[in-house]
Amino acid sequence: MKVPFELYQEGIEFFLHEAELIDTGKFKDWLGLMTDDFSYRIPVRVTREKAAPTEFSDLASHMDETKNTMEIRVLRAYSEYNWAEDPASRTRHFLTNFRAQMDQNAKNEIHFKTNFLLYRGKFDLPTFQFLSGEKHDTIRRVDGEWKLSKRLILLDHATIPMNNLAIFI
Amino acid sequence: MSQQSMSPLSPRVKAILEEFQASLEQGISKMGALNDEEIHQTELERIFGKRWNYLAHESEIPNKNDYVLRCIGDDTFIVSRGSDGEIRVMLDVCPHRGASICRAEKGSSSHFQCPYHGWTFKNNGDLVGTPSFKDAYSGLDRKEWGLTQAPRMEIFHGFVFVCLDENAPDLKDSLAGIGWYLDMIFSLQDEGMEVLGDPQRFVIKANWKIAAENFSGDDYHLLTLHKSTYEIGVMQIPLRENMKGYHIQAGNGHGVSFSIDLESKDPLFFYYPEEIVKTFNLDNLTEKQLELARGSRVCVGNIFPNISFLMLPLSPDPKTIPPTPLFTWRVWQPKGKDEIEVWNWFMMYKNTSEEFKRASYRAAMSTFGIAGTFELDDAIPWESITKNAKGSFAKKNMNLNLQMGMEGMGVANQVMDWPFPGTAYYPRYEEGNQRHMYRQYLKEMLAED
Repeated sequence: MKVPFELYQEGIEFFLHEAELIDTGKFKDWLGLMTDDFSYRIPVRVTREKAAPTEFSDLASHMDETKNTMEIRVLRAYSEYNWAEDPASRTRHFLTNFRAQMDQNAKNEIHFKTNFLLYRGKFDLPTFQFLSGEKHDTIRRVDGEWKLSKRLILLDHATIPMNNLAIFI
Repeated sequence: MSQQSMSPLSPRVKAILEEFQASLEQGISKMGALNDEEIHQTELERIFGKRWNYLAHESEIPNKNDYVLRCIGDDTFIVSRGSDGEIRVMLDVCPHRGASICRAEKGSSSHFQCPYHGWTFKNNGDLVGTPSFKDAYSGLDRKEWGLTQAPRMEIFHGFVFVCLDENAPDLKDSLAGIGWYLDMIFSLQDEGMEVLGDPQRFVIKANWKIAAENFSGDDYHLLTLHKSTYEIGVMQIPLRENMKGYHIQAGNGHGVSFSIDLESKDPLFFYYPEEIVKTFNLDNLTEKQLELARGSRVCVGNIFPNISFLMLPLSPDPKTIPPTPLFTWRVWQPKGKDEIEVWNWFMMYKNTSEEFKRASYRAAMSTFGIAGTFELDDAIPWESITKNAKGSFAKKNMNLNLQMGMEGMGVANQVMDWPFPGTAYYPRYEEGNQRHMYRQYLKEMLAED
């Protein structure tokens, strides 16, 4: 079902705000945008023959998170011993091609598909890395505010061109 | 297949390695070996070209015609289960003009066709199709032009190993003492292990030896590098308690390390829950293996050169989920002097519930692998070591300390009556396993024809 323009606009503003929180390192505020039943998954991708129905693994994942485990990751990110991100990566999300559908049953839920490009640079290195892919997100209005209830990240990479995923997408 | 004699070592490489060999028994390793193009090329020939490499697990290609595409160093191989059910490993190179014939990382196919001129091979490697045969090749003996089979292949508890040297010792001999410890882990259940889905693949700008060293017996780094995992509660065996255990130099460069309390009377079995322990067939183990398995909390090791594994209980969500045993098995594929591709499989005993497999997968993925709360930190020092090893001054001058646990250093002592294979030290404040790895490495690198 088509999303009314006003809600479409609210959704886009939600995602732009969310990306800003991540890119400015405000991970605790970012957590505040998630519903309690939040789920987050990055499946492993494998190059398959043309006839294969999907390249995405049903079990194998790079991340498969609940709100609790995301809280643990954020807790870790603020640890004095977060060597992986000390200094922190400079990340920048580029979000585009927003496509939205109202949920068929729940009037307060919108499903968004978004293309993203994520820049990651670190320290004084002139080199940098990109992740590219598509996000399949569900946002839900809870007590008048939009929250993120589901994120599936479909990467354009079979081999991840990074040494870790200590950043958030 | 003919085996060519080894390329001679350049005087420069020989000098670096001999200096390393001379200093190793004083517990000194040479940074110059960690980022060097000539040494890398020599390793591809003398280490990876002669040792047993791990490519795939049988459970990744369960059905006839299934295949996966895998690498040894910079060569690519098809691991295929033929239409006859047999597993074969073949170089992904068309013998006509040298193009790749396999176009997916995994799939199912009875034949492979080269896109260049259409030579077509059965999945046992036989050449069965050459377009315009009469006009183009009527004199060709197709039997002589099949795919190149890997010189040696052996399957160990479902793990498919390949050796590119026809004259190498059998896998069992090559595994030496570590085979006994792997037997212990893989024999716990009659059904053995299976992969839980596709491997994660990612790239670390580090030399492979640094990762191999780490899994050989570097428990000491948990105290600093992985301290955050204690803060967030995913690791519940206290840090210092976890250092109690044994380092075992398992022969042939292999190293294994156990966090264990042999005094404890409680059967631990890596903290597998009771319903899993019930599925174990303890008759498969010798009395000694059983004794070790009962007391084990953590087992980590490196199969020389570049295959590492780890079994331990961790919690993905300490507030609601108890520590769950996991098993990770990985290859540090050398992509160059300063780069590895990590191939990371999570595995579990076959005869366990889907629910337990998912729980184990979740514990594994959230702590090890590209986004694992443990493993997130490892690449940081590994990459900086590799970067520093490129420095002209550092390369020539840096003697790195690998002396922990040597005579007069710390508290570790050799266990004189060690009842299991290999040479053991207690506790794990000790770097003998790493020295053992480098001793073997240098022996093979400096070997005369």
